[in-house]
Amino acid sequence: MIRGGTVTSRGELLRIRILLLVMLAMLGLLAAALWRVQVAQGHEFEGDLKKQSVRRVRLPGQRGEILDRHGHVLAGNRPSYCIALYLEELRQGGRSNTVNSVMERLDGLGLLIGRDPELDREDVNDHILQTLPLPLIAWRDLDEAELARFAEHAASLSGVDVFVEAVRVYPEGRTACHVLGSVKFDSKIVNADQPFHYFYPETVGRAGLEKRFDEDLAGVAGGKSLLVDVSGYRHEDLAVREPEAGSDLLLALDLKAQRAAEQALQGVAGAAVIMDPRNGDVLALASAPTYDPNEFVPILTQATWDRLNSDPGHPMVHRAVAGTYAPGSVFKPVTAFAALENGKINAGTSFTCPGYFELGRARFNCWYRHGHGAQNVRGALRNSCNVFFYETGLLTGREMIAHMASAMGFGEKTGIDIDYEAPGRIPLRHQQQGWYSGDTCNFSIGQGPVTVTPLQMAVMASTIANGGNVPWPRLVLGIRAPGQDAFAPIPPRMVNRMNWSKRSLDLVQGGMRDVVMHRSGTGRLARIPGINVSGKTGTAEFGKKGNPKKRAWMIVYAPTEKPRYAIALVVDEGQGGGVDAAPRVQYILGQLFDVPLPESEVVHG
Amino acid sequence: MDRARFMMLLRRMDWGMLVAVGALLGVGVLFIYSACYRGDPDTVAPFYRKQMAWSGAGGIAFAVLTFLDYRRLAEQAWPIYAVGIALLLLVLFVGPTINNAKRWLDLPGVRVQPSEFAKLSTLLALARYLARPGLNLAHPQVVLSTGAIAVVPFVLVVLEPDLGTAAVLVPTTFMLLYAAGVPLKTLGLLVLIGLLLLPVGWFALKGYQQERILVFFEPAKDPLGAGWNKIQSQIAVGSGGLMGKGYLAGTQNVLGFLPRNVAPTDFIYSVIAEETGFVGSALVLSLYGAVITAAIRAALISRDKLGRLLSVGVAVMFFSHVFVNIAMTIGLMPITGLPLPLVSYGGSFTVSIMAALGLTQSVYVRRRRS
Repeated sequence: MIRGGTVTSRGELLRIRILLLVMLAMLGLLAAALWRVQVAQGHEFEGDLKKQSVRRVRLPGQRGEILDRHGHVLAGNRPSYCIALYLEELRQGGRSNTVNSVMERLDGLGLLIGRDPELDREDVNDHILQTLPLPLIAWRDLDEAELARFAEHAASLSGVDVFVEAVRVYPEGRTACHVLGSVKFDSKIVNADQPFHYFYPETVGRAGLEKRFDEDLAGVAGGKSLLVDVSGYRHEDLAVREPEAGSDLLLALDLKAQRAAEQALQGVAGAAVIMDPRNGDVLALASAPTYDPNEFVPILTQATWDRLNSDPGHPMVHRAVAGTYAPGSVFKPVTAFAALENGKINAGTSFTCPGYFELGRARFNCWYRHGHGAQNVRGALRNSCNVFFYETGLLTGREMIAHMASAMGFGEKTGIDIDYEAPGRIPLRHQQQGWYSGDTCNFSIGQGPVTVTPLQMAVMASTIANGGNVPWPRLVLGIRAPGQDAFAPIPPRMVNRMNWSKRSLDLVQGGMRDVVMHRSGTGRLARIPGINVSGKTGTAEFGKKGNPKKRAWMIVYAPTEKPRYAIALVVDEGQGGGVDAAPRVQYILGQLFDVPLPESEVVHG
Repeated sequence: MDRARFMMLLRRMDWGMLVAVGALLGVGVLFIYSACYRGDPDTVAPFYRKQMAWSGAGGIAFAVLTFLDYRRLAEQAWPIYAVGIALLLLVLFVGPTINNAKRWLDLPGVRVQPSEFAKLSTLLALARYLARPGLNLAHPQVVLSTGAIAVVPFVLVVLEPDLGTAAVLVPTTFMLLYAAGVPLKTLGLLVLIGLLLLPVGWFALKGYQQERILVFFEPAKDPLGAGWNKIQSQIAVGSGGLMGKGYLAGTQNVLGFLPRNVAPTDFIYSVIAEETGFVGSALVLSLYGAVITAAIRAALISRDKLGRLLSVGVAVMFFSHVFVNIAMTIGLMPITGLPLPLVSYGGSFTVSIMAALGLTQSVYVRRRRS
């Protein structure tokens, strides 16, 4: 047996004790370092951990509805049942293997539910690279049969589930399409104050009220945070902050009136506006031709977009507010008021119309070649005599007519709550050069350098109807926040008070009554039994020399005694206001007052 | 050995060390399970079961070495040393290449690491030499002979390459000289020479090994490559906080940020730190302190110098592994390949460490009577 030394020296034992002390001290050092890393700096590392393994997903809120004044839904939401794949349950080692297993699953599912696969390898690959923790939507808008097949055969498969998306729907189809606008499905809404990593696709307004009130309709987005593993696959959800639903819009539109206006424009291009002259509510804002906003949802196909853009009727243009037209004779009441209010003519002033008017060497014809004979202003309105208004216009002068037009809202936007409104044009009051008497003549009868929108015409009709208050056209009555019963109202308001004298009003209102109710009034085709209607027709020439075209106008208000409705209607190309516009207005009046009328060829033919 | 002597030795065992070792082995199995956990108990890789088997084998090795008389073992020190050298040569020429290294030998049914055996065989030889009665420790030849005994296995291990294991031989040899009684002046000189030789060592390092050291000083240099493990390990440790996230609730390993192949082995302490926080980490550190103290206790109470040196050597080897591994996990030292004794997954290593601890027990139970 080995004996290793007989005497144990104290020095050796001391050395060993020191060694133990040193080793324990070094372990103590480790403990101190642990304390620093875990307790003192723990937050920092927790932050690093979150940064690399936590992802935030934006959750869009339920979009608000758009309703007509009686609560009919014009724009709403419907559920779209989709099939979603969850790649974290289908993953294999390696990306191409994962793509293979996904494609396999897609093929199998397609056979089961009876739909062709809509995703290819590239789509799956893109999803893995860009939006891995989100579900991959394989099919949208499953019908009942497909859903049933899925539930029966495929519901127990791993990595697959039904996913419900909210999709915008317009139950009334084309009705009020220009007012409502359209939406798109966007999947990257940049939001600087709350950085998200991923976004669920969301409905965003792209035109019309959907766009203008998008912030109110969209609500407030929520968020979801989830844990991802080192490869980016979703591991589990951590927390959800629920989104807030959007607000609803209550419109002044009346669905029945809107339908009537659009039906009246069947087969032509044009616009029709119906207002309540007492408060400025816009009961109908119609433009033709129309489009179907449902075609934009869920995705606008290239074919549809091409078709809409290449349509020669330009269905996407909102003619009621954006279309600028020469008004023609419907402008004559403005000239009349300008002359009467400035004392240039009165009730007894009479001019004789021989069928033409000579100015220097130029000769302007009246539309009635035989001449209207002697008339006062009321008669001239009834007959829509050009010669009377040439005389009156020259007497009054361009400045006063322009001043009156401007006070009635022409030449500038009304400020209605919708985009793309055009201001129209009236000759500047202080424009001096290049203005001749002939221009004043044209101006007096609504031709030449004057353009208006159908909406401005409806405002004018309302102003005359209510005796001189220029209303602001109110399209949106109120906005209702989610969970509330009442709408926060957008109050009506008046833009201007004309302060017309009773004498002037009586003359012009009387003349306009005669236009419809007199047996030879130009607007007699707009008559409906039992109701007194006032109005004015107009035929405005436009187009190039050698290719003359005409706008066909009519404005009315009814009932004459206490007007509830003011209407402006224009047909882009027609023969004349009395021929083309009046019957259409008659149809609208029949619908508004519930008066049955024989089917008109013009409207239904 | 007869039954009476067996019972006596059993009573004299250091129960403190047994408890600490048993606790550490248990911690190892528990957290190897957690390191392999992916959120579903059905899919846990069966490493923890293997580790239980290795722990059992280690327990047997521990018992065998305890009851074996260390002095008889030391009588065979030179043949055992020769076997160690032979195994090291064998692995270099015949062993399979795994991960660009030749460290393993495929024996029927089991894969062993000769470097583990060589650590113990070298220790035995060194202790036998330095404990020789009448040795003049002040004589320079003592140091040279010691160096000669140690350098052969050192070089062979370096050639595998297994720098970590080779490096452990250095402090072990040095501390044996220190504990044996070599004069401090000589020891000081050795330290100086060692420092001067460091630059030589740097250039002898392979590219990836140099990379590891550089990345240690600047992990942002290569956060997705060599710096990844260091950064992820620190995040794991730091985010554990005071109380930890809870057993099986550590996200770094479950989500795969701490790579699956290192979590149960070299970075097992990260998993413990993330899931048990400072409280748990410090507790494990204390258990290691207890084991080292027990080994030194055996050295202090040993009946002879041989036992003293053997125990000191085991204590220093054990301490080196623990210190380097935990320091690496926290980010205080560059990444090495040193596993954590009794807790990291690994068969050869567990068995050899248990055998080494058994050796100290062998010394302890045969201590002086008073």
